[in-house]
Amino acid sequence: MQQFLESFLPAGPLVVFVFSIIPLMIILVYALFAIWLERKVAGHIQDRLGPMHTGGWHGWSQTIADLVKMIQKEDIVPAKADRFLFKMAPFIAFAASYAAFVAIPFSSGYIGSMIDVGIFYIVAITSLLSVSIIMAGWASNNKWSLLGAMRTAAQTVSYEVPTVVTILSVIIVTGTLNLMEVTEMQTGNAFLGFLPNWLIFHSPFMVIAFVLFFIASLAEAHRVPFDLPESESELVGGYQTEYSGMRWGLFMLTEYADMLLLSLVGATLFFGGWNSPFGSFMDGPVWGAFWMLLKGMILVFVMMWLRWTLPRLRVDQLMNVCWKYLIPLSFVNLVLIALWEMIF
Amino acid sequence: MESANELLTILPLIIIGAAGLFVMMLDAFTGSARLAYLATILFSAAALAVAVSDLFGPMGESFHGLITYGGTSSFGMVLVMTGTLFSVILSRDYLEKTGMHIAEVYSMILFAAFGMLLLVSSNNLVTLFLGIETMSISLYVLAGLVKNHKKSVEAALKYFLLGAFATGFLLYGIALLYGASGSTFLVDIAATEDKGMIYWAGVGLLLVGFFFKISAVPFHMWTPDVYQGAPTTITAFMATASKAAAFVAFILVLSRALPDARADWSDVIWLFALLTMVVGNILALVQDNVKRMLAYSSIAHAGYIMIGLAAGTDAAYSAVLFYLFAYTLMNIGAFGIVAYYEWHKGYDFTEVSNYSGLGFKQPIMGVLMSVFLFSMVGIPPFAGFIGKYRVFAAAVDEGLISLVIVGVLASAASVYYYLRVLVHLFMKESENGIVLSRPGTLYTASLLILAALTIFFGINPGVLTDLLGSFWTVQY
Amino acid sequence: MLEQYIPVLLLVALAVVTAMAFIVLSRLLGPQRPASNKLGAYESGMDPVGQARDRYSVSFYIIAMEFIVFDLEVIFIYPFAVRFQEFGAGTFWAMMLFIFILFLGLVYTLKKGSFDWTAVPLQDEQSQESSYKIS
Repeated sequence: MQQFLESFLPAGPLVVFVFSIIPLMIILVYALFAIWLERKVAGHIQDRLGPMHTGGWHGWSQTIADLVKMIQKEDIVPAKADRFLFKMAPFIAFAASYAAFVAIPFSSGYIGSMIDVGIFYIVAITSLLSVSIIMAGWASNNKWSLLGAMRTAAQTVSYEVPTVVTILSVIIVTGTLNLMEVTEMQTGNAFLGFLPNWLIFHSPFMVIAFVLFFIASLAEAHRVPFDLPESESELVGGYQTEYSGMRWGLFMLTEYADMLLLSLVGATLFFGGWNSPFGSFMDGPVWGAFWMLLKGMILVFVMMWLRWTLPRLRVDQLMNVCWKYLIPLSFVNLVLIALWEMIF
Repeated sequence: MESANELLTILPLIIIGAAGLFVMMLDAFTGSARLAYLATILFSAAALAVAVSDLFGPMGESFHGLITYGGTSSFGMVLVMTGTLFSVILSRDYLEKTGMHIAEVYSMILFAAFGMLLLVSSNNLVTLFLGIETMSISLYVLAGLVKNHKKSVEAALKYFLLGAFATGFLLYGIALLYGASGSTFLVDIAATEDKGMIYWAGVGLLLVGFFFKISAVPFHMWTPDVYQGAPTTITAFMATASKAAAFVAFILVLSRALPDARADWSDVIWLFALLTMVVGNILALVQDNVKRMLAYSSIAHAGYIMIGLAAGTDAAYSAVLFYLFAYTLMNIGAFGIVAYYEWHKGYDFTEVSNYSGLGFKQPIMGVLMSVFLFSMVGIPPFAGFIGKYRVFAAAVDEGLISLVIVGVLASAASVYYYLRVLVHLFMKESENGIVLSRPGTLYTASLLILAALTIFFGINPGVLTDLLGSFWTVQY
Repeated sequence: MLEQYIPVLLLVALAVVTAMAFIVLSRLLGPQRPASNKLGAYESGMDPVGQARDRYSVSFYIIAMEFIVFDLEVIFIYPFAVRFQEFGAGTFWAMMLFIFILFLGLVYTLKKGSFDWTAVPLQDEQSQESSYKIS
């Protein structure tokens, strides 16, 4: 990819620039698509149709219209709010969740930056999200906001532990933190001749690890059944209560980006990333990007599906699930995977 | 397997660490403070036995030179475990009577003891820092044990803030020394050739950190408040075990990392020893609260011990170790009796005037208190005298005559405030008609053992001094 | 080595610029009609009562402390996980001991009820005090 760009662009800073903005473009387009998809999925699961009019075919431009509408809204900063923090919070959330995509290998030919500690970097930079949430809740000077922010932050940091521990149990198998190398290790069809060489087929414990990771990432992305931050019946709008217009829109984009990020990390760690499921068939850099995004979108779809299937947890149940079940289980699983690696 | 042998060199550490975790689990699953108390005593006694037997074992380094064992370290472990064991034994009755008998206390004491053991066996500044932090953090919690008593909370907060500040100094010192020598191993620091600005700044900050931990003037401000606010038996633990551990670590650092710079740090310690003795004794004279008085007296004792450090010879170091042993015995004893009087009337029953006429009501306690206080003054048949004598003698050999003169004068002045307690105990009429209950058998027995040891090592110090002297004939 | 992070910087800058552009557009296109009702805090339509920045439950602090403990411990597992296959059994058992001690800590906090959010009444400090005493 870099060579391809260099063939028609002057070498140097510009290439790096174009190279590194690709994730942002992908995410912005994805967010527009995912919000429309969420509405359609919600509609069809409830035996409705969802948006149908805007733009003609199945309301495809509904989100674009919403974006245009949001931009025309008044930009309100509450009088008693801490103005600086209030305005900063959405930027930090937005920048942090988008910067994380730099370390995701979208295809064998494209990764934003070959950071050696890739997965560690992603974990580190996404933890900035809870900082921005606390900032937003505190700055709003609203009781709902503060309470919602505290809960959201407690939830995010709690579920970060099982997420990281399951990621570590994959790292034990791969021995590298670089996601590109992790994906390259999963190329080919080794298991039983036809199963792809993906890490989820590596040992039975990897399946458990994936389940734990997926549950924890649901909570990390504030999705049902862990969408306490948006539990409007108790908290109105949680930390977003005082936000409106485009500032609220930025938080919304962040949530969707977060969803994709965790799905892509899951796809890379467990489902072979950009590797084709059919061995060398339909393989290559372009197909790689297709498979990667497809796998990510399938996981995103499952997350949307769950939203209309499961009820929401109560806040004390939320903490119980994390500290009493997920964390001990994920540590036990880490030990078992390490044992498996020692024996085989 | 050689690593198994290495584990044997830190056996007391392993015992105490495992005990801490075990007691923590006992607390979580049974919540029984009695069981926790029994387990703590068993494990501490086992660790003490191992440490005593290590005294006669080999000396050396293990874990790639991170840990030093045998000799001074083993003696440090004996000091720490003596302090721990006796304060735990005394704790039960006291805490039960004051309604704070919870199992967590014992696991915190064990974790603090673990930190102290690590501190006395550290051969590397990082190990040393780990030890100091494990010890201090547990002690901050213990100081605030009685959380509905204002003085206790105040003590915990003061101790924590000042302690964190002092830790900062210590850590800066370690960082600068690492910058100057390129290593955190004590032996490598001793081999530093380029003694520039960074080196001296590092040594200075390291000294400040240690001065705080041993509560030398002018870094002593926290001591009286913390000693007064914390529950008395916890104070006994802090005053003996943690101070002994800090002193032993100080000796290790001075004798192994900075032997060449002796001429320079000796002057610094000389000055601080002088200040500590004078200020500690003068302030102790005006205290009306026995716990505060004992706190200032422990500052004064730190001053006497620092005379030995200022002398900086092998004889002085072994004298300091002996002094620390005597200091541990008599201080735990004195605090144990303060605790005994205290459990009849609650936390504030520690004014000197409260003690009027109590001496004859339970004569055994009165007599034991006199033994410990006379030993602190430094009157001949007791261990305190031998400790002081040997430290002063070692200092005189090194020519620190003026410092020793101040020391002797200061301890003469100290007679006033120690005997004042005895005057109240035996020569004043009782005012409040208080009835003293009989202390438990184990309580009395442990105090009797402490008093017996104080007298035994006062009459027959040769047993211990020969052993301590032998530590310094071996070179590492 | 550090040039790996230039794309990160670029992406962050670009994300901030994009977000800025959205906000500026909204400033230009949207109306600006401030009113006291609009700028007040939202409290379900009533006038706001008191300050929002009040004290909140100690449970949040406990969660924060637990998180710091676990996050730090996890940092120690990273190097172990990466080099585990080269170092073999000794490292494995050392790490098992480490995780075991961590696990004991977790059991302790669970048993002590750090995460029982409903069991600790907010205002009722007295009853907490008495339940703490084990006679």
